[in-house]
Amino acid sequence: MQRIHCGIVPPHLLTRLAALQDPRLSGASSAARHALLELDPVLRERSEALRAPVRRGSAIAGSLTRRIHDAGGREELPGEVVRAEGAPATGDVAADEAYDGLGSTYRLFSEEYGRSSIDGAGKRLDATVHYGSNYDNAFWDGERMVFGDGDGEIFGRFTASLTVISHELTHGFTQYSTNLEYQGQSGALNESLSDVFGVLVEQRDLGQDAASAAWLVGAGIFTPSVRGEALRSLKAPGTAYDDDVLGKDPQPATMADYVETTSDNGGVHINSGIPNHAFYLAATALGGEAWTGVGRVWYDAVLSGTIPPDCDFPTFAQATQDAAGRRFGVDSREAGAVAEAWTRVGVLR
Amino acid sequence: MRIEITRSGGFGGITRTWSLEVSRTEAEQRWLPLAEAEAGAATDARRADAGRADATGPLVDRAQTASGAGPGEAAAPASRTPERGPGQQRDRFTYRISIGYTEVTVSEGRLDESWRELIERARAEGTDGAGHGPP
Ligand SMILES: [Zn+2]
Repeated sequence: MQRIHCGIVPPHLLTRLAALQDPRLSGASSAARHALLELDPVLRERSEALRAPVRRGSAIAGSLTRRIHDAGGREELPGEVVRAEGAPATGDVAADEAYDGLGSTYRLFSEEYGRSSIDGAGKRLDATVHYGSNYDNAFWDGERMVFGDGDGEIFGRFTASLTVISHELTHGFTQYSTNLEYQGQSGALNESLSDVFGVLVEQRDLGQDAASAAWLVGAGIFTPSVRGEALRSLKAPGTAYDDDVLGKDPQPATMADYVETTSDNGGVHINSGIPNHAFYLAATALGGEAWTGVGRVWYDAVLSGTIPPDCDFPTFAQATQDAAGRRFGVDSREAGAVAEAWTRVGVLR
Repeated sequence: MRIEITRSGGFGGITRTWSLEVSRTEAEQRWLPLAEAEAGAATDARRADAGRADATGPLVDRAQTASGAGPGEAAAPASRTPERGPGQQRDRFTYRISIGYTEVTVSEGRLDESWRELIERARAEGTDGAGHGPP
């Protein structure tokens, strides 16, 4: 077998190679998987998960297992373990925020929807903090959440908002459920699901009903020098920031303002404003706890088996309407609110 | 010669643009060849996506030479893999680099040390064209 030595090829490339499904590249792919096995026991699990991206097993109730790593300011993963499940707080703010944020996200999916971790099979939740130097981002790498500390001029640390942590972890949930393609409308739906469940985690933690919630993603990660309250608003897409350096929040709220672009994988972080706003409209029309009403409908739709990886907005809208009908009845307030919301954002007529 | 770097995507989806001036010599000797290699990789991948048989051999060869690659070349196998999208990575940056009339797009996970150096220099120049959302 072809060997790839782990010191030369960075883990993210190994992961990428290991994930290849192309039979013509099976040699490179298995060599990469082999190198991952040598690299680290953590990566071994990643390698196995990649061969079976969608695990279907019996749920293991109450098996929250977290592991927080510290990259020490380098752009290398996973970094050193600084806090394992059940260990006391480290005193490092970012590490402890990540630990707590993963717990809050796990509890929404587990306690409200009965799902054991992101894969439905109790998968351990891994995060890395202090990634890179002046690193202005947080991302999901296919297996773990990664958080930068920000540059201190525009962004502070990305763990400062629970919605950032829950957004990233929801990318894992999406990967193990619909695996929506990260391009165009399906990519915008992928983004929107992360924003929707991201804010629901925060609302549930704070005990906020739909009317009193902020509906903001990433509030508190800008430095005070930026004119803006957050990165996105589900309540009023396009209004989260308006700053001399950053420009204005480009998100549309309705199909009339849909943005065609080649940037950002076809505007996945931009057109997500439309399904985001549909969720907000349905949730506020119903009132009460958004995670038990419309949140439950969105969750049911995701697991309904009717959402293809290249799902477009109308197909997703139909799936949520069907899910609302199944759970609450076709003539229910919930089904009515969902249909009305998609009509108001111009996705359904 | 002017080099313009536009970064889109990321968790925030905020587009930012930086630029710097380099000598024509530097552009021609250092950056244009790199950009052309990157564009060639993209073309290879498109051919592979289309399932054309002629891409099969070279693709496998290149992907399997990873064991002998130096640090700078380590990005090569991934850049030649058929998948040009972000894989399972979410919220990462995409960089569009324009050097004169040549333009390439490189995702954050595939940036090698040379591109990182160029981006650092452009950011350090401080000539931020500011984001106005997508073009
Ligand atoms: Zn995202």
